[in-house]
Amino acid sequence: MATPAMDIAVSRTGKRVLSGWFVILVLFLYAPLALLLLFSFNDNNLPVFPLRGFTTQAYQDFAANPELRASVVTSAKVASIASLGAVMLGLLAAIALVRRRIVGKSAASALLLSPLVVPYIALAIGLLVFFNELSVPLGIPTLVMGHIVLAIPYTILILVPRLERLDIRLEEAARDLGAGWFQTFRLITLPLLLPALVSAYIVAFVLSFDEIVVANFVNGQTTTFPLYLFSQLRFPTLLPQVIAVACIVMAASVLLLIGAEIGRRVVERRLGTEPTEPPAGNA
Amino acid sequence: MAVEARKIEATAPAPGTAARPRAGLVTTTLLAPPLLWLGVFFLVPVVLIFLYSVNVFAFFPGTQAFTLDAWKNFLDGSPFLDLFWKSIWMSLLVSVVAVVAAYPIAYYIALIASKRKYVLLLLILAPFLVSYFLRLLAWRVILGDQGPINSLLYETGIRDEGDPVRMLYTQWAVILTLIYVYIPFVALPIFASLEALDRRLLEAASDLGASRWQAFRKVTLPLSLPGVIAAFIFVFIPTIGEYFTPVVVGGVEGTMFGNAIADQFGQSLNWLNGSVLSFFLLVVVAVLMSIFARFLTVRRVATG
Repeated sequence: MATPAMDIAVSRTGKRVLSGWFVILVLFLYAPLALLLLFSFNDNNLPVFPLRGFTTQAYQDFAANPELRASVVTSAKVASIASLGAVMLGLLAAIALVRRRIVGKSAASALLLSPLVVPYIALAIGLLVFFNELSVPLGIPTLVMGHIVLAIPYTILILVPRLERLDIRLEEAARDLGAGWFQTFRLITLPLLLPALVSAYIVAFVLSFDEIVVANFVNGQTTTFPLYLFSQLRFPTLLPQVIAVACIVMAASVLLLIGAEIGRRVVERRLGTEPTEPPAGNA
Repeated sequence: MAVEARKIEATAPAPGTAARPRAGLVTTTLLAPPLLWLGVFFLVPVVLIFLYSVNVFAFFPGTQAFTLDAWKNFLDGSPFLDLFWKSIWMSLLVSVVAVVAAYPIAYYIALIASKRKYVLLLLILAPFLVSYFLRLLAWRVILGDQGPINSLLYETGIRDEGDPVRMLYTQWAVILTLIYVYIPFVALPIFASLEALDRRLLEAASDLGASRWQAFRKVTLPLSLPGVIAAFIFVFIPTIGEYFTPVVVGGVEGTMFGNAIADQFGQSLNWLNGSVLSFFLLVVVAVLMSIFARFLTVRRVATG
């Protein structure tokens, strides 16, 4: 079926050019990260060629740095609470948007998704002014409130396609058999939605953990992990440490997200609800 | 993601999911908490910013009184307005280059790479999952006077030590880094629209005697335009207010509008001015969104 379309889609030369461009772009995307990794193991405080030798000194220094560890703990706290809030609010919004007929649906979804396009600096300033006006002390709670705003659209975007694929007849059957709406939700919808909820939680967690613009304005005396890294950039000798830590976080977040995605697919397959098309291209 | 964003709005009440009798009340209960959250932590702050910008609220108590002076100063050829146009120009360049660079990749993955499609897509998207700060850090290191590129130039004798090629702390560093950051993000909606393309249309074009170029120009490109526009919007609009990238790699020369806002609320402690700049940015974003959203809707109707 695909053969004629493939012919019209590209010529042989065109295919070569396109795959060449693909390789160039992949190199462009990965080379900077690879270089960073390389220098994190280089025995030199400056990120310069020629390489001097292999060392894990930067990683050991990181492990021994209490301020840095404290900032990681702070960020983990903020991210775990904020992503829980974002998933709960996103779930409510997603159910309402998918399953109900609503007046002003597009206005509601526009507001809910707006943090995707509004520059973070504007959101950050708004929160700063707001908290200042109400004399709310800045700290972990204000960070959580801000990060929930940023993460809500992402949780909605993950949950909505999943809800749309959920067979509504399962819920209707439960209702016909006498289950109340909450029972139906708890026993039918929630379990079927669980993999997507986990995905949403992880994406929101990573977003919050990594966020720096809003954090920079509503943190008060609290230092989150990205803010700590940023503050250390002023001291060039600390650069290898910063790079090392950043590499650890990079590896952890990629593993976490890929692991979650694989886990989600395995679970969904087992539930027999795996869609015929993979989630990325279901538009 | 962008495509799905539009999809939510496009979701008409399908026959099977039509509202049940009690839906009204339940829906209100369901939507109230998330809407309330965004209302309190996004809309109310926006109103506050506006009130600060006309000095109805002020940072120093006792000095508040309605005035449009700050707005007049800003709109009357202030350096901040120049900075705004510079930011628009930079964002435009970033989003156009990112879209042009990512389109062939999305095309390749969606229409040519048949079996390994999702592996290749993941390969392109994965860098987006990597910490934003880390990706900025990578370019700060690479472009630095004491970075790998310059040290390589010294080492090979192309440049003398102490005479580095100045790359960091320029606006080009900001532009390059932003393009780097956004390419994966741009590839996704374009891929989604190309993936949804009905291949039989291409076959039909071919049967009717269209050349490859004609088929692309008359069928593929127009049908993928919603994805392209979505991608463009999702880069162009947020980057107008970009703040952190210029801080890390831009220096003085690479300053953007977002940095001016941050400075007014930080070092300069001029909340009046800062609120004018912030509210102006929000208005620009709202106007651009409404323009593009309308265009997206028209496309959707036009392409069925």
